[in-house]
Amino acid sequence: MFIHIDNKTYTVKAGKNLLEACLTLDLDLPYFCWHPAMGSVGACRQCAVKVYKDENDMKGRLVMSCMETVTEGLRLSIEDKTAKAFREQVIEWLMTNHPHDCPVCDEGGACHLQDMTVMTGHDYRRYNYKKRTYTNQYLGPLINHEMNRCIQCYRCVRYYRDYAGGDDLNVFAAHNHVYFGREKDGVLQSPFSGNLSEVCPTGVFTDKTLKEHYTRKWDLTMAPSVCNHCSVGCNTIAAERYGQLRCMLNRYNGDVNGYFLCDRGRFGYEFVNSENRIKQALIRSRTNEAATESEIMEHVQSLISMSKVVGIGSPRASLESNFALMQLVGKENFYQGISEDEAHLNRLVVEMLRSGCVHSVSLKEIEQADAVLIIGEDIWNTAPMMALAVRQAVVKTAASQASQEIKIPVWLDSAIKELAQEEKGFLATLTIATSPIDDIATHSWHAAPDDLARLGFAIASYLQPGKIVNTDFSEALLDKAKKIGDALKKAKNPVVITGTSCYNDNVIKAAFDVAVALNTGERKTSFSCVMTECNSMGLAMMGSPSFSVANENIKTNGHATAVILENDVYKHIPSANADEFFNSCDHVIVLDALHNATTEKAQVLLPAATFADGDGTLVNNEGRAQRFFQVIPNTTSQVQESWRWLKKLQTLKLHTLNGHALHPDDLLREMETALPQFEGITNVSPKHDFTIHGEKIPREPHRYSGRTAILANKNVSEPKPFNDGDSPLSFTMEGYKGTPPSGVVPFFWSPGWNSVQSVNKYQEETNGALRGGNPGLQLFKNKSDARDLFFNDVPESFVVAKDRWLLLPKYDALGSGELSSYTAALKTLSPQPFASMSTGSLQALNAKDGDMLQIVDAGIMYGSLPVKADENVCDGVVLVTAGLRESMGMSWGTRVQIKK
Amino acid sequence: MQSLTNRVKPVDRKPMTFLEKIYLWEIAKGMMITIKHFFKRKPTIKYPEQKREFSSVFRGLHILNRDEQGRERCTACGLCAVACPAEAITMEAAERKTGEEHLYREEKYAARYEINMLRCIFCGLCEEACPKDAIYLSQTFTPSNLTRAQFIYKKDDLLIPDPNKDPEQYAKALGDRKRPQ
Repeated sequence: MFIHIDNKTYTVKAGKNLLEACLTLDLDLPYFCWHPAMGSVGACRQCAVKVYKDENDMKGRLVMSCMETVTEGLRLSIEDKTAKAFREQVIEWLMTNHPHDCPVCDEGGACHLQDMTVMTGHDYRRYNYKKRTYTNQYLGPLINHEMNRCIQCYRCVRYYRDYAGGDDLNVFAAHNHVYFGREKDGVLQSPFSGNLSEVCPTGVFTDKTLKEHYTRKWDLTMAPSVCNHCSVGCNTIAAERYGQLRCMLNRYNGDVNGYFLCDRGRFGYEFVNSENRIKQALIRSRTNEAATESEIMEHVQSLISMSKVVGIGSPRASLESNFALMQLVGKENFYQGISEDEAHLNRLVVEMLRSGCVHSVSLKEIEQADAVLIIGEDIWNTAPMMALAVRQAVVKTAASQASQEIKIPVWLDSAIKELAQEEKGFLATLTIATSPIDDIATHSWHAAPDDLARLGFAIASYLQPGKIVNTDFSEALLDKAKKIGDALKKAKNPVVITGTSCYNDNVIKAAFDVAVALNTGERKTSFSCVMTECNSMGLAMMGSPSFSVANENIKTNGHATAVILENDVYKHIPSANADEFFNSCDHVIVLDALHNATTEKAQVLLPAATFADGDGTLVNNEGRAQRFFQVIPNTTSQVQESWRWLKKLQTLKLHTLNGHALHPDDLLREMETALPQFEGITNVSPKHDFTIHGEKIPREPHRYSGRTAILANKNVSEPKPFNDGDSPLSFTMEGYKGTPPSGVVPFFWSPGWNSVQSVNKYQEETNGALRGGNPGLQLFKNKSDARDLFFNDVPESFVVAKDRWLLLPKYDALGSGELSSYTAALKTLSPQPFASMSTGSLQALNAKDGDMLQIVDAGIMYGSLPVKADENVCDGVVLVTAGLRESMGMSWGTRVQIKK
Repeated sequence: MQSLTNRVKPVDRKPMTFLEKIYLWEIAKGMMITIKHFFKRKPTIKYPEQKREFSSVFRGLHILNRDEQGRERCTACGLCAVACPAEAITMEAAERKTGEEHLYREEKYAARYEINMLRCIFCGLCEEACPKDAIYLSQTFTPSNLTRAQFIYKKDDLLIPDPNKDPEQYAKALGDRKRPQ
């Protein structure tokens, strides 16, 4: 479709609005209330352009470009004098009450309002009267509130209420006194509240954790990173100054997280700066524990050559590190550092996705689904961003149906909302306990895992009768299955989501069966399984036996040295079993970034890098391999990536030292050969020697300040800039200034666009993929000739035992996360450990709400916990908070005894 | 060899005559020039007894300013650092806590403020960039020092004396500048 802008002809995509079209064409047009993820409401009047009837029309008329659809041959002018004057006046009027406190404002230098003011040319203040002032509110430890800076664009409430489904932030008063905040002071309840700091075009809502160590955007060294705190793998930007990680920003990836992050991901970065970091290699048996690198290498070398070596991998370490450990100890001696139960589930998920018979779904595709079925996973708490995507699916299905009915474009937000009203797309949540996402569900049902699985199989059997052999389902179950099945049948793009947190393979099998049964010619069905850690999928794909097998082997064979990679075994395994393992090991060598229960057992401790001081690749639950890059230059401490430690040990062992530097690329190449399931993994990002016109991509913006002063207090003679050589990124401000390849975009910036809104300039079209395709490499391919994998293991329905309770984990959106709980702000929002049971179960125990209970499993005593009565937990099940700072590994999914 | 330009002067390599060889005449000529300087105006001054007048726009050592109540004006916005062509300024911001209102004028202040005087070119762009009248270049220069580390000026080295506690020194440091509003 052709349109004419300022007498130049451009090709644009039909269905877009004029603002989107102009931004896609790289033209600068100011806006406030429009947001690519939230559509247009035409409230701020900032994006006015002049539209002409035809080429003879000299007068034209002013329109808001965000409210107008592109039409063939449309003529418009951005540069028109009246349009420009209009825009300038609008911003002057928006700015009358703005406090002009940029020097103390956290947004300054990355502020959309600053950018737009400069863009419109409003540079002189004529308003000489008293400005209106507000009282600010306390919004919790994550978000700071400074209402005076507000320009009433309404983006915050549109995001918080309409997009993220929160209900405790609202707009009050009228006219010149409009107030965005809560009814009264208090913590924002939504686990997506952190996005307000990026949604707000100015400094009303800002990141409170950044205030502790504030740095302007132009002063940050930034690198593309991947979130470490759940299995979804959202793309982030890690930002450093003075050797400290300062903040995490969203990195747009059209296939994964889009414009947003959850609060665990955004604020869970402080473990990198923690006092608890291991910075020094230690040999515990000596009087002087600290060891130099050569000493420690020699020591470890002698230990691993003495006896049999067992390698314990980690679901939170990168692929490279796990593979380097596998190479060092040999494939037969490498074990996943997780319980057999979890490893079994993960293997099952890998088998399902590798079969290629249903599509492994990305978050973006979940957003576009028209029916969602969730079986057995509380995604709100285990994969918050997936819950946000499901919410979009539910809301947008109704919206797109409405828009098709009366032919209005989907981006016309308020009109669509008016039309759709409370109408929602189909969502069924079949989980163990209630979850905030139930509020938007058409059906929600809470039952024990086996019963959930039975319902799943019943749905599958309803969708494709005869496939399930054993069908002794009750009438009530069949009725439920029919309702859900009918709704799923109507959908064109249904998505089935499940997860491993039920510790029940039948749940996953049932969910997969539903997906397979739905996946017939007329509809494309997708499947997703949430896992526990950021690289659970990567580790599972390596196909090694679990920790329990390692424990058995050591017990029978004895005499072994264990090398434990970035894994707090006590978080995954009941402590009695872990103790047993450590007692039967001759020597324990641990590589980790933070001190924990496992590092206490170590005789030799090697300081490993976190995501911020190292490079590596993670595979998310979708099977998408994503590369993260080092951002903190490491010049003094011994901290290095685990794979580098392990690879150095290997070269020492094999005497293959050839003097060449080692890069993650080399490891991935070796990995591709050794493990064919990772075919193509070398293409996950540009190679370490990649340059554009001979230039590397700078991690620092061109305005980076204080280069000659920043380290002067330590060393007056300026040292050479740090260079790790592992990536196409450099640790300086010099280098290629254009748009880098999508996977190595260290920050979003464009001339005149200093805020995050500059992401428009990195996209092929607004809201579309990044230029050159979204980063990440899908390791699971859809196979057209795939033989349908179908499971027939319908379990017996759950029976409440008299003195045994099924132990299941209860995660928390903000509190769970081994590493994120180091952030003080998140820790304060995290619940204290507790157990929850139904009132019926409590009566059976003769206990009441608030009593301390002790959980006992096969002679293992766990610490006592206060119990809460929860109506929605079914009888015979006990839920215990998991993943919190205090939480330890438990035998999830087994029946345990409970003592008062 | 053919000359490239027409400005070539061939060097005279004739052997010197006897008179030229004893240099007496040349020495006398040189002495005349020296003696002439006894009667000329001296271009030097007797520092440190005598000090040179600086121009009113002289750009010397930086001062971090305070307001009339003695509160630090700097809010650590970072504009001086980003304006600095020598990249010689660095700072870390901190939030003012309740009870510190008498120390810092606005809600943010510089917890750390450092200028690398070895790198500074005294261009005055920091002063020009400052939106808070918090940094200015005074009419004195950076004193010499024995170690390079001493040239990294910290906040304590740069802060103007408190006008309430030490009005004399404050006035001296402020020089010809008008008191900030």
